[in-house]
Amino acid sequence: MQFFLEVLIGGLLSGVMYSLVALGFVLIFKASGVFNFAQGALVFLAALTTVGLMERGAPGWIAGLIAAILLGMAVLAVRKGRGAALGGRDWRKAGMFAAIAVGTILLIHKPLPFWGAVAVTLVFMVGVGVATERVVLRPLVNQPPISLFMATIGLTFFLEGLAQAMWGANVRGLDIGIPDEPIQWVMDRWGVLVSSFDLAGAGIAAVLVASLAVFFNKTRIGRALRAVADDHQAALAVGIPLKQIWAIVWAAAGFVALVAGLLWGARNGVQFALTFVALKALPVLILGGFESIAGAIVGGLIIGASEKLAEVYIGPMVGGGIESWFAYVVALLFLLVRPEGLFGEKHIDRV
Amino acid sequence: MLYREAGQFKATYAEDQQIFPIRQDRIAITALLLVAFLVIPFVASDYWLKAILIPFLIFSLAALGLNILTGYAGQLSLGTAGFMAVGAFAAYNFELRVEWMPILVSWALGGLAAALVGIVFGLPSLRIKGFYLAVATLAAQFFIVWALTKFPWFSNYSSSGVITTGKTEIFGYVFDSPREKYLLVLAIVVLMALAAKNMVRSETGRAWMAVRDMDVAAEVVGIRMMHTKLLAFAVSSFYCGVAGALYAYAYIGTVEPEGFNLDLSFRILFMIIIGGVGSILGSFLGAGFIILFPIFLNSYADPIAHALGIDLPPGMTSNLELMIFGALIIFFLAVEPHGLARLWQIGKEKLRLWPFPH
Amino acid sequence: MSAQRRIGEPILVVEDVSLSFGGVRALANVSFDVREHEIRAIIGPNGAGKSSMLNVINGVYHPQTGTVTYRGVKRHRVHPHEAARQGIARTFQNIALFKGMTVLDNIMTGRNLKTRTSFLEQAIWIGRARREELEQRRKVEEVIDFLEIQHVRKTPVGRLPYGLQKRVELARALAAEPDLLLLDEPMAGMNIEEKQDMCRFVLSVNEEYGTTIVLIEHDMGVVMDLSDRVVVLDYGKLLADGTPDAVRANQAVIDAYLGVKH
Repeated sequence: MQFFLEVLIGGLLSGVMYSLVALGFVLIFKASGVFNFAQGALVFLAALTTVGLMERGAPGWIAGLIAAILLGMAVLAVRKGRGAALGGRDWRKAGMFAAIAVGTILLIHKPLPFWGAVAVTLVFMVGVGVATERVVLRPLVNQPPISLFMATIGLTFFLEGLAQAMWGANVRGLDIGIPDEPIQWVMDRWGVLVSSFDLAGAGIAAVLVASLAVFFNKTRIGRALRAVADDHQAALAVGIPLKQIWAIVWAAAGFVALVAGLLWGARNGVQFALTFVALKALPVLILGGFESIAGAIVGGLIIGASEKLAEVYIGPMVGGGIESWFAYVVALLFLLVRPEGLFGEKHIDRV
Repeated sequence: MLYREAGQFKATYAEDQQIFPIRQDRIAITALLLVAFLVIPFVASDYWLKAILIPFLIFSLAALGLNILTGYAGQLSLGTAGFMAVGAFAAYNFELRVEWMPILVSWALGGLAAALVGIVFGLPSLRIKGFYLAVATLAAQFFIVWALTKFPWFSNYSSSGVITTGKTEIFGYVFDSPREKYLLVLAIVVLMALAAKNMVRSETGRAWMAVRDMDVAAEVVGIRMMHTKLLAFAVSSFYCGVAGALYAYAYIGTVEPEGFNLDLSFRILFMIIIGGVGSILGSFLGAGFIILFPIFLNSYADPIAHALGIDLPPGMTSNLELMIFGALIIFFLAVEPHGLARLWQIGKEKLRLWPFPH
Repeated sequence: MSAQRRIGEPILVVEDVSLSFGGVRALANVSFDVREHEIRAIIGPNGAGKSSMLNVINGVYHPQTGTVTYRGVKRHRVHPHEAARQGIARTFQNIALFKGMTVLDNIMTGRNLKTRTSFLEQAIWIGRARREELEQRRKVEEVIDFLEIQHVRKTPVGRLPYGLQKRVELARALAAEPDLLLLDEPMAGMNIEEKQDMCRFVLSVNEEYGTTIVLIEHDMGVVMDLSDRVVVLDYGKLLADGTPDAVRANQAVIDAYLGVKH
């Protein structure tokens, strides 16, 4: 029984990590109906960028490239502003771009402390998110969802290549200051082994989810976002700036990817295998429904726990290693029974 | 010679329903086949045959299989490599365990085994669509590779599931040299491409496309959803299975289940996106591109960088390859969703009107 | 004009059909019949449940209660492809053509039920499969001639103007040589010439092939001219049923269309 509990708790805690990645998917799916296969690559990119910045600062060529692009955009913003009535705003935008460009140049070959690296990575990930929306998804508006999905597979390849081109392909450790050891008092009281790292990870995920829920339900942007999710055209008609909302969502997905990347990277090392986390998140989404934050959480917990339990109790019978596909089979069986997921909305096909 | 159809009148429906209704196309394809069968084997070096042409043909076949499922029947699959693995390992086992089994038959049986597995994993397509289905095929991918690794019977108890294929012997003749293997693969691929073309231009293909374009309307005109979708899965997996068997026997020789990983599935998907979704020709163009491009990059990226005064770190070309593939996929999806095949077609249409486009 | 046509026994009987989506009642206890060889119109304001009625008849929707009897066979749940097999073809209100295919291929799909060869024979193409394909092509060309769309035969349907797309959809339905043809607003959004053409086609189909037709249409002039009998639906309920003249004189129908003075 004690062993069972340990496995269950371990599974649930790793399930929280799945939920974290699944959350990134849900955010984008809710707002734009895109199933973003590249979420895993974003996680990988975020973790690798943080570690890389801590180790040796930004590589010269990529910083130069980014700075050049930003300066170009700054110039464009000013030139566009000349004719427009709201020219003042564009000066501010140009200033922002220029400042980031200068900041990027300053970072070259200067290793950063942990929090500095996280902050810079956050800016970078937001940039990547916004750029993705602008360059990849906007040209594909009105294409069938399956094309968008395939485009994000292309994006996955691009980001994986980019991440490794920037930072190399070596496995690196990442220490975020949370020890990975059993919590003593839990051990003493119940005799169950619970890692403090897993618990802290779960705590961080919970805080993130709660703040996203507040963001979605209480703020103006959140409301606009839900409107967009419900009906693009109608949202556009009542004056919601669709493109801005999408950019915000992608930026948020970049942020979630950063958090997930830090936790996963600290747990398993920062390496290419992080991208596979995304594949684990797919069954979670099917279970929880693509449109529900709560679904992502519950789905993650179920997948995490059932996967660990299956590995321990069923695995030995068939030679082990069933973790690689068990979650999928669970999700598939589930699909056949309830295609819209636990928390998803049922759509009626109209003819 | 001008590419023009003026003066070629079709007096019967039979003439109008040919594979290549335009005479110049018929001449061109005949010439191409003649070159492929009679010229290339004697002028191409062993390196070209072994490292480029044979894999090109095999991946064209796999891409063709995926194109039948995804391009024609509209069911996205991410498990192509898994079905190839089934074909390879099934062919190996038929060959190994049944003494008298002719090699061509065991390849075909490999294809049939893949078709069966394809049907099983295609069953969810009756309830689910789009990327939900992608997840189902992803399950196939992981499950198949896992099963082939975990059950040593499949690989005849070799270590880590590696199989080494025997020699390819047909009616006592051993296909050993790259040239002979190339000709054998070429013959199989040409025949199967022809069969695929025939299927997609007749009732079977129209039913697939109808299901792809609008499933409700397809049912209303009397198309059986289950039959049509599962047939697409079966035929597609058969093609992938045969491609897998050829991959093992005529190309690599020694394969392990991990060789048929998700990355390979993605590459084949990229072939059809770049080549042309829903086009037989596109499967070949895409395979050619995805095979040739890395070779091109490997041989020229470093010299070009040197000429520009940059030193590329080791491993950079493979990262560049990933980035360029990714960017191309996005580019093609956004700008030309029907891929190289459509560009080719546009070129031909321009040529038909040239030099007087009005 | 309908005097000399041999209108027969009812071939389709709808009895007490109710259909709802979630809490929305689309049809409530609707009953009517359709006789062989007649043109039967279904009219009613928007949202009256007309399209839902057609969807029930050919099995796209399954009613919660009630039955549909077709050619003496009572059925509760039928699948669309079974309905097609029994000789029911239809067109849709929002065009439901196969966008990625040419006009010819679209119409050829209408012949799928007449195909006897297997996919293997088709893959080899010689012999029976080829003969059959050419035979289908010949039949399809008859339909193409009949509907006067020869000039767009090889065009992808997505490139055609709306009116022609509607005609291609009718062609696809006719290619199946149906006994019962369900037309969902075949003339919606057409200009006057296109409407006249379409009326002519509907009448010819009915007269030359003896096809029974159930037709939804908003243009009252068209309905009154074409149909033998009219069913009026309102809010999912049967409001009236009878000849065009009787329906036109029906007070309930007038109220539903023009509103009631309060």
